[in-house]
Amino acid sequence: MLTSMGEVLRPAEGEIRCISDSINCGRLWPIGGRNVLSRASHSSNEPGAAASASDDAALVAAVLQRDRKATAEFLSLHADSIYSYVRSRLIPRADLVDDVFQEVFLAAWQGLAGFRGASSLRSWLLGIARHKVEDYYRLKLREALPIETEEGDPLPLILEPELDQAVDLWRLTQKVQQILGTLPEAYSLALLWRYWENCSAAEMAAKTGRSEKAVERMLARAREQFKSRWKGE
Amino acid sequence: MTDDSFFEELSSATEAELGKMARTPSRLKAKVFSALLAQQAESGPLLSVSGCEASGRPLCVFEKAVEILPVGERIKSLNFCRVCHARVAAEKMERAPIFWPHCPYSEFQNR
Repeated sequence: MLTSMGEVLRPAEGEIRCISDSINCGRLWPIGGRNVLSRASHSSNEPGAAASASDDAALVAAVLQRDRKATAEFLSLHADSIYSYVRSRLIPRADLVDDVFQEVFLAAWQGLAGFRGASSLRSWLLGIARHKVEDYYRLKLREALPIETEEGDPLPLILEPELDQAVDLWRLTQKVQQILGTLPEAYSLALLWRYWENCSAAEMAAKTGRSEKAVERMLARAREQFKSRWKGE
Repeated sequence: MTDDSFFEELSSATEAELGKMARTPSRLKAKVFSALLAQQAESGPLLSVSGCEASGRPLCVFEKAVEILPVGERIKSLNFCRVCHARVAAEKMERAPIFWPHCPYSEFQNR
C-alpha cells in the first residue's frame, strides 16, 4: 500500500488492460499529453470511426448555423471529458476549473469553422483544453521561475521507490492529488506539466522563456517537496 | 531508480484514475451554454426555432409557442433562453427543479 515513498506501485497487468479498454470505449478522457491525443486520433482508423466522423461533421455544421439545440448537444456530448481533463490538470487550482472549462468551449466556438475532421471532435476539443491548461502553466511558471533561479542548489535527491508491488490505485491517486493540492502552486503545476503532460524541461523552458537550468531547479525543488510530503504521511 | 523514473511511473500509474470521467456540474453547463448562445447571437442571428425543428431537434414548450406565432423568422431567431426562468434556475441551482421536455437547461441537470 502507500505508507512510504517506496511503495508506489504499478497496477497489475489486468488492470492496465482494463484502463486501456475504458479509454478506447471513451469512458475515460485520454491522458498524457500528446501521446494521448495522437492515440485518440488513431481511432479514426477503427470500425465505426467513419460514422462518428460524419456525426461530428453534422453536429459542427449545425452549430455553425447557430442552431441552439445543436449547440446544447455539442456541449452535453463533450462537457464531461473536457471537465475531467481540466480538473485533473489544475489540481492545485480547483477554483479555476470552471473558468478554463468555459474558455475551452468559447474558443471552440470561435475556431469551429476551422474544424476539418482530421481528428474526432472530442480530440480537437481536448487539444484546445490542453492549450488552455498549458497557457496557465506557462503564466504561473514564468512568474515563479525567477525566484527559483535566485535560490541555492537543489537538495540532493535520493529516492529508491520500489515500483513493482501491488497498488491500490484509488488510494494512490488520492494521495497524489492531496499532495499536489498542498504544494506551492508553481511546484504542482511544474510536476503536472513535466510528468503528467510529458513536457520535457527543455520544452518548458522554451515555452516560459526561461533557462532550462532554471526549470530543472524548480522541478528538483518540486520533487523534493513532493517526496517529503509523501514520506510524512 | 532516478527521481524522473519515479515520477514517470507515478504519473503512469495514476493517470487513468485521475482522468476518470467526472460529471460536469449542471450549473456550469448551463452557464457555458448561455455564454455560447450569447456569443453566437452577437455574431449573427440564431437559427430560427422553425429551422431547429426542421433539422430534427425538438423544441421546448416555449420555443414551440414562439414557433406557432404569426411572426417573421427574425423574431423566431431571437435568443429566447436569455429571458427564460429555466436558464436563471439552472445557472443558480445544481439541481434546478425544471423538467420541461427538450429544454437544454433541463437536460443539463445531473439527476
